[in-house]
Amino acid sequence: MAMQENDETGHTLALDYTFTPTQAFGLYVKQEENGKDILMLTPQINTLIKRWNLPDGQGNIFNMSGAGLARYRDNNQPCLWTAFLADYESRRWFLSYEPRFVWDGDIEKSVWQRARIGIAPYLANYNELNTWIMFQVDHHPAKHDHFVATPLLRFFYKTYLFEIGYQSDHHVMVNWQIQF
Amino acid sequence: MKKYLLTIIISFAFSASISAETIRTTVNGMVCAFCATGIEKTFRKQSEVESVKVDLKEKLVTIKTKPGKTLSDAKVKEIVTYSGYTMGRIVREK
Repeated sequence: MAMQENDETGHTLALDYTFTPTQAFGLYVKQEENGKDILMLTPQINTLIKRWNLPDGQGNIFNMSGAGLARYRDNNQPCLWTAFLADYESRRWFLSYEPRFVWDGDIEKSVWQRARIGIAPYLANYNELNTWIMFQVDHHPAKHDHFVATPLLRFFYKTYLFEIGYQSDHHVMVNWQIQF
Repeated sequence: MKKYLLTIIISFAFSASISAETIRTTVNGMVCAFCATGIEKTFRKQSEVESVKVDLKEKLVTIKTKPGKTLSDAKVKEIVTYSGYTMGRIVREK
């Protein structure tokens, strides 16, 4: 899977290989913005901790973690990050919550949390374009208790996902994901 | 006449034994295209499988086996479970 996110926090690229249905391993690169311009480069492991399969929906708890290097100006530091993602998705509704903890050595320590709600205006099948109307809230307690709200559209076609939104701090959010 | 009937019965039995099988199973938790892709890919990897079709609206996976091949209920359940989902009811037709 290849994934790129561009939003008010910066630019993220992740390349993952799913070696079992519950675990993926890959590379995570993030160029932070809107604060210190920190570049992070880490191997990444994604784990599906728990899944609930329901007749009309699915609930999941994932962990994503990485350990590697962070660079700010000429200062290179070891870094660690971990995030938990809890989501519920039916064909009509989507809910998620994700807290993320980042330690960039003596450069920065940060906590960040994100919540999302989404609704599919129509129910599309596997070979059709799926569309979601979503609303996202980000909270950065370490950055002046900063809140960012983002209305966005998600488009899903087979193994391709594309999201576009406009953030309350005037950033355009563009994310994409491809599964191989 | 007896010989003629016997030939028909044997031919019918033989053609039935080598015919392909269609297996339909509902899958709990299959709500998005990424879920469907994972299940489809895992079934396609099985040497017995000719084709796989996913219907997200009905949460239905239709597996067509190669002539003379089959997948047991236990194997179908194992594949669905391995992919991260739960198998519902299963229906077979020759």
